[in-house]
Amino acid sequence: MSTLAALARLRAVHTGAAQRLATVRHCHLSERPMVLIPLRLAGEAAAPLAAMAGTDPARPRLLVVPQPRDRDLRFAFAAELAEILLPYIEGLQKATETVERRGAEPFERCVDAPQVIVPNRSAVAFVQLLGRSTRFRRAEGEYAVHPSVPVLGRWLTFLAQRAQYPGSASLLAATEAMSLHWATGQSALEDANLASLMGWIDPPPGMTGAEAAREAEDPLVWPPAGPATDPGFDSEVLAPAIRAYAETRSDRAAARVGEAVRSQLEPTWRLMWRAVGLLGALPAGPGVAARWEGDRASFTGFAAQLAEGGPPQPKRDGAVGAASRLARMERAQASYDAQRAYDDPLVMAGHRLTGEAFTGTVLAADPDHAEGEGRGRKLRPLLTVRTSDPVRLAAGTRLGTPERRGQQAEVVEITGGHVTLKIVKGMGRGRTASPGSVPEVGERVCYAALTDEYQPPASLPAPEDTPWTHGGPPPEHVPAVEEPDEEEWA
Amino acid sequence: MDRLDELRGPVPPRPHDARAIAALAANPGCARRAVLDAAGIDKDATATHLGFPAPFGQSPFAITRGNVFEALVKESGCAELLRLLREILGLPIPLASYTDLGDVGGNPSAHLRHSHTRRLLDRAARDGDDAGTLYDHPLLRLDIAGHTSYLEPDVVAFRLGGRFHIVEIKSFSVIDGQAEPDKVAAAARQAAVYVLALRDTLEELGHDPARVSHDVVLVCPENFANRPAATLVDVRRELAVLRRQLARMTRVGAIVDALEPGLTFDLVPDAGGAPTRPVADLREAVRGVGARYAPDCLSTCDLCFFCRDEAASEGSTDLLGRQVRDALGGVATVAEALGLADGSLIPDEGQEEIARLLRLADRMYAEVS
Amino acid sequence: MSESLDDLEERINTLRSEIRRAVRAREGALARSLRAELRGAERAWDQALAAHEPTPDEAAPDEPPGSLLPVREQVHQALTLLGVPAAGKMIVAVHGALRAGSLRGPQLTSLRRDEERSFRTSPFARPYYLCAALTDRLSASRGLLAVSTWPLEKRVIGPLSPRVDFLTTAIRVAEHLLRLDEPAEQAPPGAQRLLARLAQNIPGAAPYGTGTPGAGAAVRGAGPGVVPGFAVPDPAVVVKAARAELAVHADADATARAEIAGRARDRLRDPERLFGGAMLTLARREA
Repeated sequence: MSTLAALARLRAVHTGAAQRLATVRHCHLSERPMVLIPLRLAGEAAAPLAAMAGTDPARPRLLVVPQPRDRDLRFAFAAELAEILLPYIEGLQKATETVERRGAEPFERCVDAPQVIVPNRSAVAFVQLLGRSTRFRRAEGEYAVHPSVPVLGRWLTFLAQRAQYPGSASLLAATEAMSLHWATGQSALEDANLASLMGWIDPPPGMTGAEAAREAEDPLVWPPAGPATDPGFDSEVLAPAIRAYAETRSDRAAARVGEAVRSQLEPTWRLMWRAVGLLGALPAGPGVAARWEGDRASFTGFAAQLAEGGPPQPKRDGAVGAASRLARMERAQASYDAQRAYDDPLVMAGHRLTGEAFTGTVLAADPDHAEGEGRGRKLRPLLTVRTSDPVRLAAGTRLGTPERRGQQAEVVEITGGHVTLKIVKGMGRGRTASPGSVPEVGERVCYAALTDEYQPPASLPAPEDTPWTHGGPPPEHVPAVEEPDEEEWA
Repeated sequence: MDRLDELRGPVPPRPHDARAIAALAANPGCARRAVLDAAGIDKDATATHLGFPAPFGQSPFAITRGNVFEALVKESGCAELLRLLREILGLPIPLASYTDLGDVGGNPSAHLRHSHTRRLLDRAARDGDDAGTLYDHPLLRLDIAGHTSYLEPDVVAFRLGGRFHIVEIKSFSVIDGQAEPDKVAAAARQAAVYVLALRDTLEELGHDPARVSHDVVLVCPENFANRPAATLVDVRRELAVLRRQLARMTRVGAIVDALEPGLTFDLVPDAGGAPTRPVADLREAVRGVGARYAPDCLSTCDLCFFCRDEAASEGSTDLLGRQVRDALGGVATVAEALGLADGSLIPDEGQEEIARLLRLADRMYAEVS
Repeated sequence: MSESLDDLEERINTLRSEIRRAVRAREGALARSLRAELRGAERAWDQALAAHEPTPDEAAPDEPPGSLLPVREQVHQALTLLGVPAAGKMIVAVHGALRAGSLRGPQLTSLRRDEERSFRTSPFARPYYLCAALTDRLSASRGLLAVSTWPLEKRVIGPLSPRVDFLTTAIRVAEHLLRLDEPAEQAPPGAQRLLARLAQNIPGAAPYGTGTPGAGAAVRGAGPGVVPGFAVPDPAVVVKAARAELAVHADADATARAEIAGRARDRLRDPERLFGGAMLTLARREA
């Protein structure tokens, strides 16, 4: 936690209202996101109890499993969820654009991609488990499920995997998206409660954020946003309703379970759309569209894989898969951090505090400065910047700047409040710097030791060449006729 | 230990179950909790009377699921468990005996059942492997700050090659070799309590306590089926933490000695057990022992809402969690930190660095937002 | 009619949230009285529902003839088939799988107490009683049922007896399937599943070895009658494997059982021999 974020929390305590942590929105927000609130039966790994889902705040769809221990009912739930999710996903595959690439074949990319928003991190984990428990199911033979169920499972797995990728917006947890943009006057642990977090950020009229957050902790006023339900609700309301259904199997008893869970889901449904509204009111940061492009490309690729009849995602990554995934994630994280800083002075301020970045005024500029002679002569414009930031950078450190995104500079020396740097990239290829590429004396500038350059992927062996020390090549997936340990869902 | 009885009032000390004992290690720096626990005070009742009932509860579905799974593992003389132990520890076929130490008929006292457990464990420790293998429902005992707590674990102790192991049965699933880390950690902490209690019992009987293995067998449902699977979990670390905390609790005397004479947390229950002590009075008493609130308390301590409210009214930065406190370099209150940030407060010695950072942060915040 | 159902549901919901409020505030007395009121409302709702939507008595025509027998006779049948003391759950499973019976667990809960009462009122008036198995302490074993006509040696439980009885159960179930005319794969799926579950925990009894959950189960085609999720074990193999392990334990178990039975004969009177002695009196006698 940066001192800046800590200070923001202190201010929130002091004022009773959440404080901004960002001046722009750092996650893509779809024009038509799908909100999904799953509930799980307590004590079970992945037995769905209910869900509320939809793209229209005014028309939530309620799915209920009136007896979550009944396998058939659970898969009926999965089929019903597929009925909502798959048309949404398939509808987005229709419109594509051709992307030209230098030195490579052009490819087709969907112009939009699905965006599913769930309440919190636990809901993301539940989506992953639901994907795991449905993607290996089969549509024929004994214990057949509806053909849409395994397809749903693969998409849920796809979404859950994207959610681990820094900067992806395919599957968002509302609490995390909100916490990225606002600081509350409570702990991060308490921020995981959506109602309480929203209480701080958007309290009802006449209440401070602090008061609204306290009220939101009462599960009778604000039922938990799932997937776990309130134990009091379970014992007083849900258990008798499920028992009544188990005994009578009547529509009326099923409806009673439905009404019970509806009472738990509706408040969260409204909260989710309020969160969407608040995020939507922030202007999107410049890097958001590029990151969403990554989501769109990944979506397009997975849709193609599915259409070609590829196998379901394996249960575990092989050694090479895991290592290359880790390397990819680390790069994505670094690049995501850099992009947000360059997009948002408030995020940059956090880096300035630690001395990795600074803001100041140009004192002197030598735009025609060059190094070397003859054919080796290189244009290296020099700048001296006066700053009061606590700069902690070594000579030779590469710097970027939000004002000129393609540009790179290098620290020459730092003395007192003066930083001298030379521009090494992004000032044109001529003998003199291209107009506007070198800041003028008196200009406010910001430089940071954050790079979001493309780095070539780490060199790892192909999966079939996995060394024996790492388990050897992963076995090819041979779909078993039966995967018996899967037969009972929970 | 009279002083502890006086602190508690005229009610029997609340027995600690393994979950409560495991939770003792959660916030070792909290004097309030150490004193209340050492005195065996019912913290839940105290919190409720103070108007801050604890936010905990367990769903009946979770309880049922736990019981059903345990019954499955143990049915037919622990047939499932025997399969697992034969697989992962190579338990030889002839070792299949099962003794239910809890099945003694009638409804005898904990003390009686404990001595039954002791007698059988003593015999098991003396004799060779054919004396017995699985011991279900051992009634163990652990001394906590001078009070005896009986632990009634739903665990099985089993013996192989002269060594005892604790088997802990939990109903959370292990999916593709992974379980929720906090659930595994909680299970390990709880199992460590049983390992310690079993070691104490053996030691009292004159056997080598090291004959109880620090490797416990954790049995959980695998994937989405109900089929039990077993994993060995090393609980050495948990044992060390637990021992340390129990030792602290026996040293709680120093804290207790420093308390106001006459201080008590007695709820003054009426004939029906309902507390009659004036709330303001009790509040003063509880405040007489310092707490160290942290947001983690919200999941472990019955008094959490009371202490949080207290921390809020004092404007303590503890409220915001350890990360924030670390970022603030230990500045204790919100007002102080904000004063340092806007320059209205002169930093004390040693606070210069954090004051400088806060002022800078304050300036930047104003500059860019 | 549905209006009054709606009203009742409204009231039930209100009561529930009041109860939860009371529970949270630890107002025990209030919660209790609200609960009582709630149960009343729920009963009224159930009655209103029954009147509203007369549920046809579907269960009756489908029930197999066996279930017309009294519960105690069904339990007796199952125990006789097994020939060893068994827990309620196993009795229900065996009866369901092999006799197509429809016993339910809760029906068995008061059985032993009823039998004891009947025996104490007029001893040995019935040809058999469903009685307790006796522990090493000569008390009634928790949850195990036995038949009074069995020799004491069969009804007492030594340390190896649970395992021995489990193996015997597997043998009896497998033999029962062998006696059926059809091949094992045509046996009722419930019976296959029961046998598969038992076989999993016997070394060498499951078709592809124990400890490899379902490995190779895929090899067999999913023909009719095959239970997916379990490899269908060959009953003859189960019998052989179970006998092999049984041979390891049999002597030690028989010795232990004889010793306990001897003690029971010495110390217990008839009702106690059937339904268990109280531990405290025994403790005194031991002392």
